[in-house]
Amino acid sequence: MTGPSRNAAGATLRFTFDGKTYFARPGDTLAAALLANGVALVGRSFKYHRPRGIMTAGIEEPNALVTVGEGGRREPNTRATDLFVYDGLVARSQNRWPNLSFDLGAVFSLAAPMLPAGFYYKTFFGSAKRWMFYEYFIRKAAGLGNAPTEADPDRFSHRAAFCDVLVVGAGPAGLQAALEHAEAGKRVILAEQDAVLGASLIRDPQELDSAWVEATATRIRAAGGRILTRTTASGYWEHDLVTLTERLAEPGAKPAHGLAQRLWHVRAGQVILATGSIERPIAFAHNDRPGVMLSQAARTYVRRFGVLPGKRVVVATNNDDAYLTAAALRDAGADIVAILDARPDLSAAATAAQAAGHPVLTNAVPLSVDGARHCLTKVTAKVDGQTQSWPADLIAVSGGFTPVVHLHMQAGGTLDWNEAAQAFVPKAARQNVTTIGGAANPQPVHPVVPVGNPKKSFIDFQNDVSLADVDLAWAEGYRSVEHLKRYTTLGMATDQGKLSNMAALGRLAEKQGVSIPEAGLTTFRPPYTPVSMGLIAGASGKNAGAHMRRIALHDVHTQKNPIWQPLGYWFRPRAYPQGQETLAQAALREARAVRTGVGMTDVSTLAKFEVSGPDAAAFLDIICATTVSKLAVGRGRYTFMLREDGIVFDDGTVWRLAEDRFLLTSSTGGADRMATHISYVRQYLCPQLRVSAVTVQEHYAGIAIAGPKAKAAMDALIGADAPRHMSTLPATIAGIPVLVLAASYSGERAFEVYVEASHAAPVWAACEAEVTAQGGCLYGLEAMEFLRIEKGHVVVGGEVDGRMTPADLALDKMLNKAGGYIGATGLSRPALSEPGRRQFVGLEAIEGTIPEGAMLVSAEGQSPQGHVSAAAFRIMDGGSIALAQLTDGFSRYGEELIASSPTRGQKARVRVVHPHFYDAAGERYRD
Amino acid sequence: MTDVTITPLPAAPLHVFEIWSNPSAVAKRFSAAMGYDLPATGRSGGTEALRLIRFEPTVWLVEGDVAPLPAILGDDGAITAIGGGIVRVRLSGADWRSLLMESGVFNAEDPAFAAGCSASTVIDHVNVRLHVVSDDVCDAYVPLSYATALLHFWEEASHGLVPTHR
Repeated sequence: MTGPSRNAAGATLRFTFDGKTYFARPGDTLAAALLANGVALVGRSFKYHRPRGIMTAGIEEPNALVTVGEGGRREPNTRATDLFVYDGLVARSQNRWPNLSFDLGAVFSLAAPMLPAGFYYKTFFGSAKRWMFYEYFIRKAAGLGNAPTEADPDRFSHRAAFCDVLVVGAGPAGLQAALEHAEAGKRVILAEQDAVLGASLIRDPQELDSAWVEATATRIRAAGGRILTRTTASGYWEHDLVTLTERLAEPGAKPAHGLAQRLWHVRAGQVILATGSIERPIAFAHNDRPGVMLSQAARTYVRRFGVLPGKRVVVATNNDDAYLTAAALRDAGADIVAILDARPDLSAAATAAQAAGHPVLTNAVPLSVDGARHCLTKVTAKVDGQTQSWPADLIAVSGGFTPVVHLHMQAGGTLDWNEAAQAFVPKAARQNVTTIGGAANPQPVHPVVPVGNPKKSFIDFQNDVSLADVDLAWAEGYRSVEHLKRYTTLGMATDQGKLSNMAALGRLAEKQGVSIPEAGLTTFRPPYTPVSMGLIAGASGKNAGAHMRRIALHDVHTQKNPIWQPLGYWFRPRAYPQGQETLAQAALREARAVRTGVGMTDVSTLAKFEVSGPDAAAFLDIICATTVSKLAVGRGRYTFMLREDGIVFDDGTVWRLAEDRFLLTSSTGGADRMATHISYVRQYLCPQLRVSAVTVQEHYAGIAIAGPKAKAAMDALIGADAPRHMSTLPATIAGIPVLVLAASYSGERAFEVYVEASHAAPVWAACEAEVTAQGGCLYGLEAMEFLRIEKGHVVVGGEVDGRMTPADLALDKMLNKAGGYIGATGLSRPALSEPGRRQFVGLEAIEGTIPEGAMLVSAEGQSPQGHVSAAAFRIMDGGSIALAQLTDGFSRYGEELIASSPTRGQKARVRVVHPHFYDAAGERYRD
Repeated sequence: MTDVTITPLPAAPLHVFEIWSNPSAVAKRFSAAMGYDLPATGRSGGTEALRLIRFEPTVWLVEGDVAPLPAILGDDGAITAIGGGIVRVRLSGADWRSLLMESGVFNAEDPAFAAGCSASTVIDHVNVRLHVVSDDVCDAYVPLSYATALLHFWEEASHGLVPTHR
């Protein structure tokens, strides 16, 4: 099936389709190459496994979907009409077994009368368990391509761009607009989804040929404009932000530089949409067979690719454009056996065609086609009410034109109904966007009333939705177009109804007895064409969307081969196993070292703020719910912070480094939230204060040394008497200035050493050497968790969960009695002091091991009265303990409950106790 | 072939210089003491020994010896060290602007973003401060915790860059 301008010598690219080798010319789409090689059957339909061929020549293709590439580059549901052949291309048909020609799934086509729209809902009901059974078989039988199971080896990039004018579409209107704006000195970006510029001019070069296209592009570039080909405007967002998806390599191909696709984020001063229109099919029986093709597509295959898609051709139309197709096909050697024109009278184009010898029939509408799996054999039509047939292997249909208004609508625009064109056109724009060219002025057409069997007249080819399905939905009460869409699945899947929506609206309007615009419209949502998940993820796709934050001593820890723990965006050592130790064994050993000797750990990720200025103390009295201004220089204290509604949202320590300088620490996970809170208070609530609050979270690395021997270790490290509990001292370790804070999270005598992060390594090394000399070891997050649970210290995100007041956490005695802090007013709300609130308690197991996250109930089957927020074992003695939130917990010490975790299938009998399991008097902190 | 080189610079003293009162008086004292003005918003200035980059209405990032600054500020502001948490990265070559557009949101390709300009922006989810040194050089100030990841990102992105003009 080689056209006049095509010869075998030019086909130099080798590719395979379903394992068979073919050759293509450079510039061929896969669809063009398959047609040139005589392949008409390309796929099977989604539901009924009907044989499908190539219907279009563009991104609207609903039928010719293939899987291309291999391994991680495999890309399913690729439109053969939007894939340019490269040497080595591997393409496979989809949704068939055992092969495309003989597909056992085609049995569903025989059962089609029993599988109408909504049959799932009518058939597969019952318990969820039964649905799980059905689902397996449904998924096996239906569907399109399968997602690859291997990781994509290629990269995807996001790139920002700014311009004065973004022009979408490089047809004659788009090229002209881009040229005018570029030569007027504007920064212009021109995006074209095809690999070459010209759009309709490639198909119809009568007035403006390729030389004009080339010259125009040269002038645009010379004026500083940027032209992006293989780039689709996929989404129009707020503030004239348009996302463009650029293919740097064809689907399945190995890209140069490893970069497969780029997502442009273009912020444009003005957007011009020259997106053209999409030709509509006509509904008639078996209009989905191979050999049924849109008129402009047939013309494209002849004129652009030199491929003749049929030798005996019937053209069916309701407009003049299809006469160009008839002429092109005849010029290429096809026999035009009939032109079926739905209009009652001959137009000028029809008259000219008739004069040129074409058999033109008016009042003629296709009724059905016949054929085999691979080809068409006969076309039947109603002509002036009479049935006529012609032997034919191609029917080129044109049911009118649907302007591509997707981006206009995504930008919030409205539509107007163009009666002459039987199409919606852009009306009001809500952003700085204009639509020009064919998308604004579609050709006039004549309405076509389908005459074929509605059960076999398909309107949504991708979802096997026929006119009968729309009728059924109507009969079953689905009046809204949105309900119709969901009931029939019309307009879904990869083509998003580009060919089907207008036909469905027409049928719905007919049923409702209203005009098409009165029947309503579905929503236009991005993306315009499918976008790879990898492209959306961009470069971050390889690391789950976020960079890992490394602590300053990351490499030092790595040498110790720890078990790493994600903590927010950070990675921190969870434990340092020795030999064959498990995590639990290592953590228990480390925790016991802290209880009996000394251990050290990295606490660099804690949030840290340096607050300075004459009003620093007053500022912190507002931020913190405890008194700060009365701290003496060199002293510190535990503190916590409230939201304006009186709920605790973070905690930490505050240290007075000088009369007008403080260091405030707070939780790792809440660091960004605390920074925002401090900035809000500083700038909006207290702009009059003379204070500077700077985050120094990363400036200082932090090292904690804890245990009965911690003071001895610290004395040796700093060569002086270490500060007493909740005191601070500037010192030097390994010749480097450090700040030593005496504070304990573990329940033991402990110190935190803060050092400028860029100098942390030698200080860590010195500390580790001293701790080792004292018989101690490193400890990680897991041991730290054991220690703090046993001590009864709360953690933000655990016990501090956004619902607890200071009283609920037994912290109310520490509140600043003078008030004035954020949350003081909120705390006065009566509801926060009424009975029935969850309160912070401890639990010890009477029988079993307490599961973390368990709910607390009085007896099986009763409503939960609280939950376990953290669970551990007594470090030295064993025994399961936990921290919990329990309704009216403070008055329930000694009560026995059940901690039940149905999701883990675990439970334990527990006794409610005071949450401090270890050294409740705090005697071990002090020397 | 893209022309951009990514070079981490040695650690250097960096401070936040913040004014909370009497900004005009501080500016006059600064000019008198240093011989040049405090840079305006979005601008940087100074000498080889002391570079100031203004990032907020009342906040400058200071690189270099800050010894003279406390006396200039008096009770009208404060200096806070932050250098331990920031890695300086030099982007040099004709395509540094194009590199900054990768996963960026800021128009680094704007010719008005020229030598002496500064900006705070987000690149691949990381907060970065920029200072244009010359047509071919831009210094980026990157949080220490993200520096390894961002340097890797930049190295990868530098292959297959879209030139600013094509």
